[in-house]
Amino acid sequence: MFGTPPQDIAPLPAKVPVAEINVSLPWKLPTPDVLWFDTKLRVYLSAQRKPAPLAIIISGTGSDANTSKIQVLRGALYGAGYHVLTMPSPTFPGFIVAASSTGVAGDFQQDARDLYATMQEIIRHLPRKVKITDIDVLGYSLGGANAAFVKSIDAREGKLKIHRALMINPPVSLFSSIGRLDKLFATSIGSSDAAIEQLYRRLYAQLANLYRASDRMQLDENFLLSAAAAVLKTDAEFSAAIALTFRLDLVDMFFIGDLYAGTGVVTDPKHPPKVGDSLENIQRSLRLAPFSEYFSKVFAPYYLKARPGATSASLIADNRLNVIGAALRSDGDYYVQTNDDDLILDRRELSWLQDTLGKRIAVYDHGGHLGNLGDRQQVADMLRMLAGGWPGGAT
Amino acid sequence: MKSALLLLLMAMLGGCASQVLSIHTLPDETPAADNAAAAANAAAFAEAAATASGESSANANSANANSAKDVDLNQPEPPPVTPADAPPMYTYDPWERLNRFTYRFNARFDEAIFLPVVNTYQRVPGPLRSGVHNFFGNLSEVDSVINYLLQWRLKLGWRSIERFVINSTIGIGGLIDVATKLKLPGAPTGFATTLAKWGMHPGLYLVIPLLGPSTLRDGVGFAADYATEYGVDLFHLYRGDVSWGLGVANAVDQRAHIDFRYYSTGSPFEYETIRFLYVRRRLIEDEGLHAKQPRKRPSADAPAGK
Repeated sequence: MFGTPPQDIAPLPAKVPVAEINVSLPWKLPTPDVLWFDTKLRVYLSAQRKPAPLAIIISGTGSDANTSKIQVLRGALYGAGYHVLTMPSPTFPGFIVAASSTGVAGDFQQDARDLYATMQEIIRHLPRKVKITDIDVLGYSLGGANAAFVKSIDAREGKLKIHRALMINPPVSLFSSIGRLDKLFATSIGSSDAAIEQLYRRLYAQLANLYRASDRMQLDENFLLSAAAAVLKTDAEFSAAIALTFRLDLVDMFFIGDLYAGTGVVTDPKHPPKVGDSLENIQRSLRLAPFSEYFSKVFAPYYLKARPGATSASLIADNRLNVIGAALRSDGDYYVQTNDDDLILDRRELSWLQDTLGKRIAVYDHGGHLGNLGDRQQVADMLRMLAGGWPGGAT
Repeated sequence: MKSALLLLLMAMLGGCASQVLSIHTLPDETPAADNAAAAANAAAFAEAAATASGESSANANSANANSAKDVDLNQPEPPPVTPADAPPMYTYDPWERLNRFTYRFNARFDEAIFLPVVNTYQRVPGPLRSGVHNFFGNLSEVDSVINYLLQWRLKLGWRSIERFVINSTIGIGGLIDVATKLKLPGAPTGFATTLAKWGMHPGLYLVIPLLGPSTLRDGVGFAADYATEYGVDLFHLYRGDVSWGLGVANAVDQRAHIDFRYYSTGSPFEYETIRFLYVRRRLIEDEGLHAKQPRKRPSADAPAGK
């Protein structure tokens, strides 16, 4: 899955200007002591010098607004003439602290509302010289689902007049996708501290041997990236890496949610941890916790209280794309790109997407979860979809 | 001191801010060039990886050969690192409270002063900036030569001498790195590596003010490097009138070359994560230093670094 042959990589522009924007949002909740560094939301803007459509990219689970995947999408879109605004995932700690109105991340509707309000606030305050002619939203992985929900809210409220929404490798059901990742973690890594330690020891030994053979003086970033690619060459190892990355993001979300909701799972609500306190034991204990535990101990208690009449089952049902299924089916401005072998979807979910989107979905044979992002085909199709040139879309 | 203030002032004028948004321009991204570089890097690495797997299978063979009592001990290759050799996941950090406060101080200093200055500095034309970088790199060759000698890696030491002579003369006082173009790429070393070569473990984790993550050994090494440069006082740059300005310029140049931003992970566990990764990286570099000779490992239950 690593390493697209060079001829299949989409051509990108030589230069892309980027500005970092730090945003103070008026609805920010009081910041817990140990999260003092996350008080401003960090987004990135690549502006054209002339009037142009704006593409807003939302990052994947737990990720910031400047990941390597974002950089690829930004390059392609800027090269195609868009202003590009990139936003972190609503599950990224920097978003939860600076922009969330709840502190408990992961709810499709609530996250979309926070994203939508944030987008308005940013666009309202952009320098006048950035002239926007149209707005599209897109996102990869969880960010894809976020993008679709944002557009569905905008369809009701009309404050941004979002034109098209593109989901790249989205989940259909948050809970089943994450359940699959948790299962993957259990099968590829294991579900005990010892199993995690074993994975670490194996990686350490492999990296050390590669480094010893490499004749390099320093262990630099280039080496580490390539070494990771060499170590993760089998599907099983690659899956373990995806599962591990996801779990580490979940650890952050779990801890932060517990702090905000005051659910007292790993923090004492009366005596929250302070700057300078060691958090290693908290991190250690949460490493073993699957998403179902976050759901039952933090997410559900918080949202059941906030939404009278809700049940655990209704919370799970609310976090499915089916909730906006009617819009996805009838509104020709929603698009999907995914892969036949994407591990976050099962067969039923994939066929539901195909049935609902009709011609507005492109399903590639290979690529797994996001493995083909930045490939020639994926980028060309993405640009056609967003430009309204895709067969079956609204014009 | 004056130049430091000037840089500060430039940095303050560089940013613009409204109440809700504060916008700073970053250096342009170069995705086309990055893709090309990544492809080249992957290709180069594939070779190294092939060598590595070749070597480990050779080791496996020799192990088999040993068991078959068909022994050839002329070339005693040390065995490859095994999972059992990996240090524990815990890191030796007895000064954690102090370290955490230093980490926080560094993060704030970085955001308030260092990064704005570096940001402004990035607007200086590229060739000029690489001139500055090469100039400081050239000065550090003196320390490299001394340390390669102490590490008894004479070939590399000689390379540093060649580089220094070529770059100081043809390279106009070190401003142009001619040596790298002549296939003599730089490979700086210092006392930290010398201590490691002599068999010293990294020791306790240490966050140094302004410098960032380090270990006791690396911190001592850094101080010794500085003392050496100060002692040699090449071209009278370290004790003369310009030393303050040069020190600041050196710091800004170095910071501009480190692609790290405090708390860019946003994670409440960033301190733990960076500590874990930093110490493992240093330990793997040590494995590389001792690739040619087998060595004693610290006991398995001692935290990493001790």
